[in-house]
Amino acid sequence: MTMNASRLGLALAIGLALGGSAHAQANRAEVLHWWTSGGESAAVKELANAYNQAGGTWVDSAIAGGEQARSAAVNRMVGGTPPTAAQFNTSKQFLDLIDQGMLNNVDVVAARNNWDKILPAPILNSIRIKGHFYAVPVDIHMPAWFWYSKPAFAKAGITAEPKTPDEFFADLDKLKAAGIVPLAFGGQPWQEKITFYAWLAHVGGPDMYMKLYRDKDAAMVASPQFKALLTSFKRLHNYVDPGSPNRNWNDATAMVISGKAGVQIMGDWAKGEFATAHQTAGKEFGCFPGFGPKSPYLVAGDVFVFPKITDPAQVKAQQLLATVFTSPATQVAFSNKKGSIPIRTDVDVKALDLCAQQGVAIMKDVSRQLPSPEMLISPDLEGSLQDIITKFWNTSESADDAAKAIAAALKNG
Amino acid sequence: MSPRKPVFRHLVAWLALAPMVATVLWVYVGSVLWSMRISVSSSRTLPIGDYVGLRQYARLFDSERWTLSLQNMALFGVLFIVACLAIGFLLAVFIDQRVRGEGVLRTIFLYPYAMSFVATGLVWQWMLNPELGLQSTVRGWGFANFTFDWIVRQDAVMVAIVIAAVWQACGLVMALMLAGLRGIDESLWMAARIDGIPAWRVYASIVLPMLGPSFGTAFVLLSVSVVKVFDVVVAMTQGGPGLASEVPAKFIIDNLLVRANIGLASAASTVLLLTVLALLAPWFYARAHASRRAERVARALRASEPPPGVTA
Amino acid sequence: MSATMAPRRRMPRPARIGLYVFLFTAALAFLLPLYVMVATSLKPMEEIRLGNLFSLPVKITLAPWAQAWMSACTGLECGGIRAGFMNSVAIVVPSTLLSILLGALNGYALSFWRPRGAQAFFVILVTGAFIPYQVMLFPLIRALAAMGLFGTLPGIVLIHTLFGMPVMTLLFRNYYAGVPHELFMAARIDGGGFWRIFVQLMLPMSLPIVVVAVIMQVTAIWNDFLLGLVFAGHDWLPMTVQLNNIINTTTGERLYNVNMAATLLTSLVPLTVYLASGRWFVRGIAAGAVKG
Repeated sequence: MTMNASRLGLALAIGLALGGSAHAQANRAEVLHWWTSGGESAAVKELANAYNQAGGTWVDSAIAGGEQARSAAVNRMVGGTPPTAAQFNTSKQFLDLIDQGMLNNVDVVAARNNWDKILPAPILNSIRIKGHFYAVPVDIHMPAWFWYSKPAFAKAGITAEPKTPDEFFADLDKLKAAGIVPLAFGGQPWQEKITFYAWLAHVGGPDMYMKLYRDKDAAMVASPQFKALLTSFKRLHNYVDPGSPNRNWNDATAMVISGKAGVQIMGDWAKGEFATAHQTAGKEFGCFPGFGPKSPYLVAGDVFVFPKITDPAQVKAQQLLATVFTSPATQVAFSNKKGSIPIRTDVDVKALDLCAQQGVAIMKDVSRQLPSPEMLISPDLEGSLQDIITKFWNTSESADDAAKAIAAALKNG
Repeated sequence: MSPRKPVFRHLVAWLALAPMVATVLWVYVGSVLWSMRISVSSSRTLPIGDYVGLRQYARLFDSERWTLSLQNMALFGVLFIVACLAIGFLLAVFIDQRVRGEGVLRTIFLYPYAMSFVATGLVWQWMLNPELGLQSTVRGWGFANFTFDWIVRQDAVMVAIVIAAVWQACGLVMALMLAGLRGIDESLWMAARIDGIPAWRVYASIVLPMLGPSFGTAFVLLSVSVVKVFDVVVAMTQGGPGLASEVPAKFIIDNLLVRANIGLASAASTVLLLTVLALLAPWFYARAHASRRAERVARALRASEPPPGVTA
Repeated sequence: MSATMAPRRRMPRPARIGLYVFLFTAALAFLLPLYVMVATSLKPMEEIRLGNLFSLPVKITLAPWAQAWMSACTGLECGGIRAGFMNSVAIVVPSTLLSILLGALNGYALSFWRPRGAQAFFVILVTGAFIPYQVMLFPLIRALAAMGLFGTLPGIVLIHTLFGMPVMTLLFRNYYAGVPHELFMAARIDGGGFWRIFVQLMLPMSLPIVVVAVIMQVTAIWNDFLLGLVFAGHDWLPMTVQLNNIINTTTGERLYNVNMAATLLTSLVPLTVYLASGRWFVRGIAAGAVKG
């Protein structure tokens, strides 16, 4: 029994101490995110420094793995101890939370900083729900870049980046003939999924892409053009090595870094791996965002949502976070470390690397912006489509059957 | 020799068991009931209290991925349990033969149990990968036709996962068996040697039956691992290639966390629990029956013995 | 159980050699993943990228180990797994003690006193061990929040105690089932009540099985990630959360050497417990396995 009393006393003392110090911490904000690797940590440091300099106190809660972090955020909201801000993606992941009234909005900050004028349309559409701004965007990632090893290209006799899908296949053949693995690939379901919608956007075109994800157009899915697209996607399978199933995406990038493989289709976060290996864009590796000068630029990204807290001090902290995250200086500093591009085009991009500068330039062309699938469909439907794609990629299922399965999933989802 | 106050005796025992009763009712029964309630709702990211009938169950049984995961769990279960019991038993028998360095050997077979699968699973993925691991190494030694690419094949990936799972678990089974073996009286071996019975006969006809309880405990612990198998699959294959190594726990957790489908996940876990109950019920009934019989026999024996303190 | 270790039977020489060959080969097979982990943890990333999994490090570097312990990034902070070490200890010690105590109490009451209907609860308890934790999260979160324990150290200790109850009760119940009933009856005749017999007779006798239970619980709770993540709250996150942050990442770069070093470091605690109690382990399981 005495043990309980002293334990209670200790808890009380700790509680008092924490309570006391909370007053001394102005604008204390606990931020829950999933950025835990070396490069990501450096990027978060930029956000935290900017926030602290603006008069806030950043308390870090990092949990690796997007699903883990998001579910931890939801669990804490359910349990009554929500963080001040929680990371999500520009997607439909947090719509249910809005419906259940569990998020604060940041309309005040959005109005003050003219978000509707400086943010690109796909981002605006994913953070403005029913007329209110429920999330602050922090970066834009593009999941459909092409990364290639310059020594590998040289060895295969490829002198220029491919401008059409046919040229791409020809280059893959040249790589194969030179004894290099043409396409570095990681056979995990999510990688197969993003390769598919990257291929759909670049080869099928923005029209076909939007008909699938935004319109859920059954006629398009049954059309011969879509089936041809599925077939050409499956054709990529001839160019991956037999060890590709289960491989982490980093290991696939490592193949490009070491010149063992020629090309990888991956998001711009791959730059982190190249940077860790001390390789620079334009020297040891190259990057291009698609085929030709009008290739679509897929827009995906990270946002922070603000759980419903009524304490005015916390609300003030939430609004300060939203302001700091979107300021031009923070955006540039953060994007530089993160490998993403800023959410606003009115910033100075000299500090960013070659590929990022290319991305920012493309974003200025509104016609090339394409929202990523998770902005358009629910996580459930995205999962169902992922199951279909991974089955199509890994078995000898026909394009017809895959198209039928996709149509069925679109109808139910 | 009759108990003095039967009612009071039961009361004290129940008082001591109160935490267990509370746990059972509140944690297990309560959660299962809550989960069943959610499985008839349309809950997505958060629990909602509406009622949609058996729609989630219909979607569940329609799902190719769920059916595949049940089949994989069955295959995994049979291979894993049989392999662990067999290898654990053999290792225990061999270590029991007065070998030198028994302590070292026991630690070598037991250390995998100390490590979580997050990193060890990746090591197994690398080792079983044809380009990176054993196949390419052995081919490098000159055996050009050596193939060991089960982990990238749809039809063999579950066996690859069994290998890693057995590596982790059979140390514990070995320890269980070893202890059981140590509990067998020395005189048994003496008698067998005198009678000239070959060693393998002794093991097959006498030792194995005596180790029945050890096998029983091991079986329960291994079965729990089979039903909950998740970490090894995620770390090694993420359910791939394709859907070939999907397992029920992964289906449930994916729908719970990633696809925001709490309703469907609850339906799946209810079905899983009912399946487990259906498989376990006969075993529990048989054990309860046997223990009731043993108790009757024991009571009869005690009744016929002189009370303690009286010289026979 | 025999105390003397007389040789069982004389084995023919070739069979003896075959025995050692089998054990040696099995040991090598078991050690292979450990070798890969240690070798990878001593290589620089450039060498790992080249992909020679089984090769010895060209030049051994201990930097990944130092990084894993002290400077690997786990979010904003880059403090390695060291940050969560004391939290894990603070969680493991009371959880192990409480869950073993309750398991022993339950096993004792179920084995000797056998109140009517208790068997049914026991069966449900063991069945509960088969349910994946994730399914039970939401109701438990709500309940703990209502009690004010969500995100606190007592809360996570309570959760571990609850989830450890099935296996612990099973272990102790089987152990006490192997204890002769006469012992218990004699103690009752001598005037012992429920608690006196438990504390003065049964607990001291249970040392071997307690050691077994310690090994199983320390391993399970030390390596637990999910329950600690959900219920321990920001101030008490266990080391496994840092470990997960180091190893797992969605789109960040992966440093495999640091990951392996971090995993090996984390596993040192359960391994030490095994080594320290190795001989007890074998003796203890024996009694617990008498009646399956």
